[in-house]
Amino acid sequence: MSETPQIPESDQPAVSRKSAVAKGLILGLSLSLPLLLPHKAHAATLPSESPHLNPDKNVSWEGWDNPRLNVNDGWDNWQTILNPDHLPIYHDQFQRIETSHPQHHWIMVIDLRKCVGCQSCVVACKSENNVPLGVYRTWVDVSQMGDTVPDPHGDILVDGTRYRQDVLVMNVPKLCNHCDDPPCVEVCPVKATYKRADGIVLVDPELCIGCGTCVNACPYDARFLNPVSHTADKCTFCVERVDAGLLPACVTTCVGRARVFGDANDPSSEVSQLLANYPHVVRHSDFGTDPQVFYIGMSGEIATLDDPELQHMVFTYTSNANSTTAQ
Amino acid sequence: MPLQTGQLLGLEHVYWGILIVIYPYLSGLVAGSFIVGSLSKVFGAKKFEPMAKLAAIVTLAFLLIAALAPLADARQPSRFLELYSRPHVPYAPMGLFTLIWTAYVLLALTETYFIFRQDNLYMAEHAAGWRQTWHRWLTLGWHDVSPRAIHREHIILVALAAAGIFLAFAFHGYIGFIFGAIKARPLWSNPLMMPMFIVSAIVSGIALMIIAYIGIVGGLVSRDAVDNDLVAGLMSLLMWTIFVDLFLDIVDFLNAGVQAYAMGPTYDGFHAIFMGGPLTFMYWGLQLGFLSIALILTFFGAVRRSRWGSSITSLLVLISVYAMRYDTVVGGQLQPKASQGLVQYIPPWLGRDSVQTVIGIFGIAFLLMVLQLLLLPWDKHWMDHWIHHSHQARVPSNVAAVSKKEGV
Repeated sequence: MSETPQIPESDQPAVSRKSAVAKGLILGLSLSLPLLLPHKAHAATLPSESPHLNPDKNVSWEGWDNPRLNVNDGWDNWQTILNPDHLPIYHDQFQRIETSHPQHHWIMVIDLRKCVGCQSCVVACKSENNVPLGVYRTWVDVSQMGDTVPDPHGDILVDGTRYRQDVLVMNVPKLCNHCDDPPCVEVCPVKATYKRADGIVLVDPELCIGCGTCVNACPYDARFLNPVSHTADKCTFCVERVDAGLLPACVTTCVGRARVFGDANDPSSEVSQLLANYPHVVRHSDFGTDPQVFYIGMSGEIATLDDPELQHMVFTYTSNANSTTAQ
Repeated sequence: MPLQTGQLLGLEHVYWGILIVIYPYLSGLVAGSFIVGSLSKVFGAKKFEPMAKLAAIVTLAFLLIAALAPLADARQPSRFLELYSRPHVPYAPMGLFTLIWTAYVLLALTETYFIFRQDNLYMAEHAAGWRQTWHRWLTLGWHDVSPRAIHREHIILVALAAAGIFLAFAFHGYIGFIFGAIKARPLWSNPLMMPMFIVSAIVSGIALMIIAYIGIVGGLVSRDAVDNDLVAGLMSLLMWTIFVDLFLDIVDFLNAGVQAYAMGPTYDGFHAIFMGGPLTFMYWGLQLGFLSIALILTFFGAVRRSRWGSSITSLLVLISVYAMRYDTVVGGQLQPKASQGLVQYIPPWLGRDSVQTVIGIFGIAFLLMVLQLLLLPWDKHWMDHWIHHSHQARVPSNVAAVSKKEGV
């Protein structure tokens, strides 16, 4: 091996200091050899050979709790599903994605005029992705803008006085924005989270050390620490469905077709048409993260501030607040 | 309606709890104590020479456990080797921190070797039994004590101390930057984070060294061994660093706590949390109040020269810096990112990320310090004592009695 040249050739007695030091060097080198060897890159391994993508060895990839349960229903096709090796991935320098001209750029457009606040996308997401109790990959916040005002013809009667609700109800579905400049990916100390060339930001639960930096770094609070896998977790745009040519579960289930998913690189796609024809905003454009989830029918003020004077949040996912699930 | 005043909100949690509070705290103690230990070598302040060895012991003990806090906080701590096998440098602050910490550990171990080499050699020559073996082993075979070798050793120590001060700044500055780099938290995303963390690190390190010096030298060797001039020197150093620290606190307040000068979300968070919110006393009473009291105490020569006075001042400083870490780490996370109101956080007593874990980590630091005090030749009196005992232990009691009777 490579450490042999380091041993000095000596005819000295066996107990000399030099030989003791040499022994120590060999021991140290052999102990640190696993560290010095080059780390196997993702792209270098074949999907079928990598334990990382072997359903018998990996029980916690995004998508299912246990892929072995799905071997007979067509979901065991590791050549097309859940296989990041098919796409280049980026941990930083995201401007290179654009210059590489990827075939797809997946985005989501949410038309708030059509959202009725039924929360079925939340249920579909939980069901599709086995999201544990107390945490959410997507959620729908309901807020009101405006006030309850006195009105002689109002339909609310309190202590002999009539009132009318002069409010606009906003249902805002929130999820990971799959930003084009994601701070969460850049701060990961072990490159466990990455952005695929098609725009989807993912977490590798086999590599994540669960330090929580990305969870804090997300301006949208879209990440959480999964209480089951003990790693960072987030919306994946249902990457396994997208790779198989399906829509994300939340889009499929949306009753009002408020959520639209598609390829921004295709000018004839529905998302491209919507963005071309309607004014739209992104959440917190002030953070400079370049979010890729666009909202139609949302005021820019609301997208930027969670100010109680602008919008009054009347329903949110409070059930897990202060819970012990994260422990 | 409950959402405007209530605190139980949304998906928000304090993801970095009390373990990440003590992580910069411990690191600050390391960086500060290292700088205090290097004063005599790099800046030629000879009066601080007697505490160089003690500073090396304290630095090494706290340095080794400084990385334990984030490790205990990580949900998958067994994967820590990934920090070395695939570090995300220079993009991730935490990734770069790991490398700086590792370099710092190597440097501290090297410094410990050189700073104790001559005394280890003395022990190896004069002691008997396992102490002889142990201290001979600690010299790693370099037995040269000629003036030229000692001069070379001194040069190496000065170079190590200089590199160490640079690393201390990088080490603690980068911890500040772990928070400063997170733009999602308005109270963290602040260019002052790095200098504030470095200065408060030096403040807390000086305070720790005052307490350690008075406690260990005064308590374990003898009260008369405490050099009051040295303590007074450290106290005046403390005074000047507190000045800088308070100055940075004022600048921080002007940029976060005044509506006209601060960005909207920054002011909203600061106002809701520190001005009438859950951490009001922590900020105004403990962080700023205690530091101001300590500053006033350092003005008095009698306090500076008194053991109790300087100990109490240092304790106030240590509490104040802990409060600063708590206000920064927890306070920044009390402001929600995607909802309204404030997030609630009470550190649990038992379990992961709890007071129990914190006590355990400080217990390990204490253990490491005790082990070093017992196994490294840091004090002349103790060395003579060890040599005497090692010879006694080597001779069986009956032989000793016979030889005493014969007057050998």
